Amino acid sequence: MHILRTPWRGVALAVMASGVLAGSVQAQWLELPVPGTPRTSDGKPNMNAPTPRARDGKPSLAGIWRADTMRYNTNLVPDGQEAPMLPWAAEVYKHRLATQGFERPGSRCMPHGAPDAMTVYDFKVLQLPEVMVHLYEEMHKYRQIHTDGRPLPVDPDPAWYGYSIGRWDGDTFVAETAGFRGDDGTWLDNNGHPHTDALRLTERFRRINWGRMEVDVTIDDPKAYSRPWSAQTMRFDQQADTEMLEQLCENNRSIETLQKVWKPMSTTPAPGGRP
Amino acid sequence: MNTRLAVVLSLTAFAASVSVLAHHSFTAEFDENKPLSLTGTVTKLEWNNPHTWFFMDVKNPDGSVTNWGLELAGPTQLLRAGWKRDAMKIGDAVKVEAFRARDDSNTANAKGIVNVATGKPVFTGTAARP
Repeated sequence: MHILRTPWRGVALAVMASGVLAGSVQAQWLELPVPGTPRTSDGKPNMNAPTPRARDGKPSLAGIWRADTMRYNTNLVPDGQEAPMLPWAAEVYKHRLATQGFERPGSRCMPHGAPDAMTVYDFKVLQLPEVMVHLYEEMHKYRQIHTDGRPLPVDPDPAWYGYSIGRWDGDTFVAETAGFRGDDGTWLDNNGHPHTDALRLTERFRRINWGRMEVDVTIDDPKAYSRPWSAQTMRFDQQADTEMLEQLCENNRSIETLQKVWKPMSTTPAPGGRP
Repeated sequence: MNTRLAVVLSLTAFAASVSVLAHHSFTAEFDENKPLSLTGTVTKLEWNNPHTWFFMDVKNPDGSVTNWGLELAGPTQLLRAGWKRDAMKIGDAVKVEAFRARDDSNTANAKGIVNVATGKPVFTGTAARP
């Protein structure tokens, strides 16, 4: 039990330290009052305040968000369900689970993609009239969801994050993304649900109130799944009065051990025939 | 709600919100069936993402010394947990609870660190999520 207790004491000290430092000058903007934040009478951010609106009257998705659990990052599939994988995809998935996910792109300093870059660390949304921008803290990456009316590109060069366009459906922001890389791109989640270059991703963003946002994701990849399927609804909490931090993959010591332990089970090329 | 309970609940929420080893698979690199307890002197601190690493000299029963490498959460998460890089200094005596790497090299993931001189935890509160 000693091992378990020690970290909690560390957290206690950490939180106390944070409290002491609040209001003082810090090397990072970890705690600072952000203008425009709705507040309760005691000055704290009012997470239950109404959904803010942009100048055009649409809900504003702006702010810094963090998934309320790592569960989405681990596995996109809803509780009690399995993704309708085609046989080759099921084989790949099984292998990735059996090898503890050692070949996850992150092992070689490649980032999570769409949608799972949202679920790993904090991300910031900038809502501009003609584009929704995601700034992902993980590895200092970004994604643009264009809202200027352009169509998805035809036969684009496959991209890690794909190509995204967005529109409003009432108060729900709908992002459509296609043009992904296939085998050499992202995994859908850390467990290793695969996708191909045929993936078409639909994300529906709803800001419930000032402090909470929900995102429903649909995976439509006929080369890997027998039908489109919906992920577990993702919930995100607004991170008030703070700022993003720089996070680059600059010291990847893990790769040496991972290769030493797992190289005999490498899937390059992966098992099973790919379409 | 008393203050102690409030603190515990807030800490629980904090821990749940901290994602520590999303960069690579914890279980691919470390073995939870290989717990270690190491006491020694800090020789180096690498305050870098995606993982902070520190190194320590540990005296073996036969008198020889082994330099161990210990993985921690990255600076991003440690900063958010309230830690600064100078919380651990070269020359500090520390006691570490850790899980050894699967390749049995002298590397491990540090779950808990205590500064021997002060008796206080260091860089903890972000223990690895299995």
